[in-house]
Amino acid sequence: MKKLKIILAALLGMGLNYSQAQTPKGSVLIKNATVLTVTKGNLENSDVLVQDGIIKQVGQNLKAPSGVETIDGTGKFLMPGIIDAHSHVALDVVNEASAPIVAEVRMKDVVNPFEIGLYRALAGGVTISHAMHGSANVVGGQNATLKHRWGSTDPADIIMQDAPRTIKFALGENPTRVHGRGNNIQPRTRMGVEAVLRNGFSEALQYKKAWAGYNSAKGQKGNTTSPPVYNDRLKTLADILDGKIIIHCHSYRADEIYMLINVAKDFGITKLVFQHTNEGFKVAPEIAEYTMGASVFADWWAYKMEVYYSTAFNAAILQRNGVITSINSDSAELIRHLYHEAAKTQRYGGLTDDEALSMITINPAKQLGIDDKVGSIEVGKQADLVIFEGHPLSSYAVPQMTFVDGVKYFDIKADQDDQRQFVSATEMVEPIFLHAEDDHQCLQDVDAYFEAFQGAFFEEIL
Amino acid sequence: MKRQFLKAGMAGLLMTGILAQTAWAQSDPTGKRRVTETYAITNATIFASPGQQATKGSVLFRDGVILGIGANVQLPKEAQLIPGDSLYVYPGFIDGAGLTGITKPKDLERPKDFVSSAPSDEIAGITPWRSASDQFSISGNQVDDWRKAGFTISQVLPDGGMIPGKASIMVLGNDRSVNVLLENTALAANFKGSRGMYPATAVGVMAKFRDVYQNTTLALDHSKLYASTAGVSRPEMTPTQTGMAAVVQKQIPVIFTVESDLEARRAISLQKELGFKLILTGLENYETVVDLLKSTGVPVLIKLQVPDDKAIKSQKADSASVATKAQYDRVKEAYEKALAQASLLEKAGISFGFSTADTKPGDALKAVQAMIKNGLSEKAALAALTTNPAQILGISRVAGTIEKGKMANFVISTDSIFKESAQIKHVVADGYVFDYEIKKKTAKENGKSDNGAVKVDGVWEYTSETPAGSSGGEITITKEGDDYSGTISYDDPSGGGKISTPIKNVSLNGKTLTFEFEVNAGGNTLTVTISGEISGKEMDGTMSVAQFGSFPMSAKLTTPSLTF
Repeated sequence: MKKLKIILAALLGMGLNYSQAQTPKGSVLIKNATVLTVTKGNLENSDVLVQDGIIKQVGQNLKAPSGVETIDGTGKFLMPGIIDAHSHVALDVVNEASAPIVAEVRMKDVVNPFEIGLYRALAGGVTISHAMHGSANVVGGQNATLKHRWGSTDPADIIMQDAPRTIKFALGENPTRVHGRGNNIQPRTRMGVEAVLRNGFSEALQYKKAWAGYNSAKGQKGNTTSPPVYNDRLKTLADILDGKIIIHCHSYRADEIYMLINVAKDFGITKLVFQHTNEGFKVAPEIAEYTMGASVFADWWAYKMEVYYSTAFNAAILQRNGVITSINSDSAELIRHLYHEAAKTQRYGGLTDDEALSMITINPAKQLGIDDKVGSIEVGKQADLVIFEGHPLSSYAVPQMTFVDGVKYFDIKADQDDQRQFVSATEMVEPIFLHAEDDHQCLQDVDAYFEAFQGAFFEEIL
Repeated sequence: MKRQFLKAGMAGLLMTGILAQTAWAQSDPTGKRRVTETYAITNATIFASPGQQATKGSVLFRDGVILGIGANVQLPKEAQLIPGDSLYVYPGFIDGAGLTGITKPKDLERPKDFVSSAPSDEIAGITPWRSASDQFSISGNQVDDWRKAGFTISQVLPDGGMIPGKASIMVLGNDRSVNVLLENTALAANFKGSRGMYPATAVGVMAKFRDVYQNTTLALDHSKLYASTAGVSRPEMTPTQTGMAAVVQKQIPVIFTVESDLEARRAISLQKELGFKLILTGLENYETVVDLLKSTGVPVLIKLQVPDDKAIKSQKADSASVATKAQYDRVKEAYEKALAQASLLEKAGISFGFSTADTKPGDALKAVQAMIKNGLSEKAALAALTTNPAQILGISRVAGTIEKGKMANFVISTDSIFKESAQIKHVVADGYVFDYEIKKKTAKENGKSDNGAVKVDGVWEYTSETPAGSSGGEITITKEGDDYSGTISYDDPSGGGKISTPIKNVSLNGKTLTFEFEVNAGGNTLTVTISGEISGKEMDGTMSVAQFGSFPMSAKLTTPSLTF
C-alpha cells in the first residue's frame, strides 16, 4: 500500500516534496512615495503598509503598527517587484541537451541559491525570475519560478512554491542543430520539430490511456493486467494536455509560431506563452486570440539566421494587438536593468507608462500564472516591492531598495563590495566565465555536451 | 556408464588430493606461509575503543580473531611476540565508500546503431548488477598505502557511471586470502552524467534515477502478480531492475556520492520522494546542511581530506589594497570554517565516518589532526575512524573495537595516534602483521643545533635515481658566516671516475636546502638544481636538470662539521 502511494505521488507529478519550511515574511510601512500600482493607476504621496509579507493597506496617512519599521519614500517611486519571465539565473544546469524531448527533467532539482546573480537581479529591482531549461530540445525540462530570497541556503526557500508548473519548448534552429545536424536524428528541420511534438503528444495520450486502463483493472478480482512502464517524460506531456502545465516556447519565426498554435489547437492545449517571438508582430492577432501572450526582447536580434527579421517595435505592436506582452532578459546582465528595457517600448512604439511597466510586472505574472499573487501593488497581494530614485522608466532611475514578501533583500546604502554568500576556501580568485555572462544562456551546457560527444562542434553559442 | 564412473573416480581422486594437500603438505614452495597464526602484542598501551581509558597489557590473536586482551592474558608458546612496550594499539581503521584497490572497467564500445538520446543502460553508466568485488584486487591501486595509513577494512564502491553497481566490504589483509567480508551491501550512485548521451547532466541523472527506481517497483509488482495469478503476461525484469530490486525492497541502502551541500540536498530530496534507505558520502562542503543531516538522520561519510592552504599561503597581505585584504579575509574565514566543519557534525551529535575516495593516503592522519586542531574531539575522531563506520556498514559485531572475539585489526603507533610525531609501526589486518619503517625524528635530533636551526654543514653522501641508472657522490658544505659554500662530486659523464665541482647559490630556507652546480656534458653546460628537505641527518629531494626533468635524490650527513 505504501509502495502504491509512492507511485501515485510520483505519477501525480509531485515535485521534490521539500518539507515546506516557512520562508521569511516581513512587515514595513513605506510612506509618502509615488506609488505606481501598475493596475490601479499612480498614487501621489501615498503609503503602503505591509504586514507578514502581504500588502495590507494602500492609502494616505497610514500609521505603522507598533514594531513595524517605517521607511520614508518622499520623492521616491514605489513599484511592484520586477518579474523576469525568461532567465537562467541560479541554475547549476541549464540544458539536458541529449534528447529531443526531456520533459521529465526538473529545474527545481538544480536550483542554486548561492549564485550572486540573484543579488544582482535584486539590485535591479527584480524579485521573481523564471528559471528556465535551455532551448536545445523541442521539449525541454520543467522550469522553476524563483523568488529572490537572497541569503537562503536551501534551494526550496527561493522556489516560489505556490507558482504553477511551467515547461520549456523550443522551435527552429536550436533543436534542429543539436539533434538533427549534431546527432543526425529527428528533428533536422522545422517540419521535424512539429512531428516530434505531435508524436510526443500522441504517445502521451496512449500513455494516459494505458495507465487509466491499468488503474481501473488493478482493483478487480482476478485482474491479469500488468502495470505499464512508468515514463515521467510522457506523464509530463500528458499533464500539459490536461492543462496542468504552462508551455513557454522559445520561438522566432512567424511560421513556426503559427505552427505551434495549430498543434496546441489540435491537442486542446490553451496554456501557451511564446518566448523571444521576434517575428511575433507578423502573427500578433493570432497570438492574442489563442495564447497567454509573448515574452520578448526590447531590441535584440541578428545573432543567427532566424533572428534577422526583427524590429524594436515588436513589443508595442503585440501590445496594441491585445497580446499579453512582457520584456525578458535571458541574461544575467540584462536582468539588472529590465526597467530600462521596458522603457524602450516608449521610444519604439510610444506605449504609456502603465503599458511599459506592465511588461515587467503584471504581464509576466500573468504568463507565469501568478498574477493573483504578485505583479501589482494591490491589497492582499504578496509584498514584492522596489523603491526607485527617479521614475523607473527614466534613464536616470536607480533602484534603492528591493523587498520580497516585505523583507528587504537589497538596500543600495547597505550594499557591500563583496556580497558573495559562499566563498571558496581554496581559490583566491574565483573563476569567471565571461561568455556565459555575455550571451544568452539558452544553450548553456550544450557546447560542453558536444565537446564530450564529438569534439568542438559549436561555433555559434546562442 | 563406465566412463561416468571413471569420471567420478577421477574427481574423487582429485578431491582427495586437494584435501590431502591442505591437511598434510608441509612444504611451501612459495616460502610465504607464516610460521604461526598466533601473535601477541605484549605490554602495550591499548586504546580498545573511542573514549575508553587506555590500558597497559597484551593482545593475543589467532587466525585473525582476538583471543584475549589485558594484563593477565596467558600467552601460548606458539605465539609470536610483538614487543609493544613503547607502543600504542588502536582498533584498525575502517573507511566507507572508498575506491581502494578498484580498477575501473573499460568503457563499452558504442554499437554502430548507437542513439545518444536513448542509449542502453550499460553504456549510459546504469549498471546496478555490477559488484565492486569484481573490480577489486588486494594488490590493486593504493591498497598498501591505505593499509600503511592504518586502514584495515574498506567498503569499496565500484567505479563507473551514475549507478556503477554494488559495494563490497573488504579486509585489507593478506594477498593470498579471500578478502571479501560482505558483498552487495549497498548500491552506489552519484550525479555524474554520461559523456555525450542521455542523461548527460545532474538534472538528467535525477530524472533517470526516478525512472529506474519507479520501473523497478512496477516490475516487482508485475512479478508478484504473475506469481499469484494465471493469465498474466510474462514479466521481463531487466538486469537493471534485478540489480535495483534490493534497494526498492529497502534491503540495502543507496550510497550517494555528494560533494557539496546542494548535492546532499538533492540526494535527500530523491530519498524523500522515493523512500529508499540513504547513506551520503564524499562530503566536502556541508556546513549549511548540518541541521538537515541531523533531522533526517542520514548516515554520513565525509571526505578524509581538508582543503589545501595554497590560497591562504599565497596571500601577500603587505602589498595588498584594502579591498584585496577584505577578500583575503573572506577566503581565510572560508578556509577556517572548512577545517572546523567536522567539529560541527560532532556538536550536532551526528556520528560520521570517513571516505577515502579521491584522497591521499599519506595525508590521511594529517587531515584528521587538522580537524582535531579545529575543534573535533580526539574521541570523535577515533570513533569516525573505527566504531562509526563499523556501525554505518553494519559490521559492529566483528570490527571497530579491540574486543575478544572481534577481528584482529589494529593500528600500532609510536605515540598517541593524533600527535603529529606519531608514526605507524605495525598494522594488523585480518590477523596478518604488516611492519613499517620508522623514521627517527624528534625535536632533539642531531641534525639540529641547539638554537633550533637545521644543520647542513659537513659531508653528505648522496644517491640519485635517473633514467640512466643510479649514481651518487659526496656533497661538502661549509658555513661561512651566514652563507654556505661547498663542492659536489658526481660521475663523469664522459666516463671514468668522479668529478668535483663547486656549488653555487646555496640557500637554506627552513628545512629546505637548495643549490646549483654546472655539469659539462658533450660541450654543453647544464645547470643542475638540487632541492632537498632535511630531517635530522637525512635529506630527501630532487635533482633537476632543465630540459631533462627532475629525479629523486636522497643524502645522508655522514660527517657533520663540528660546532663550537
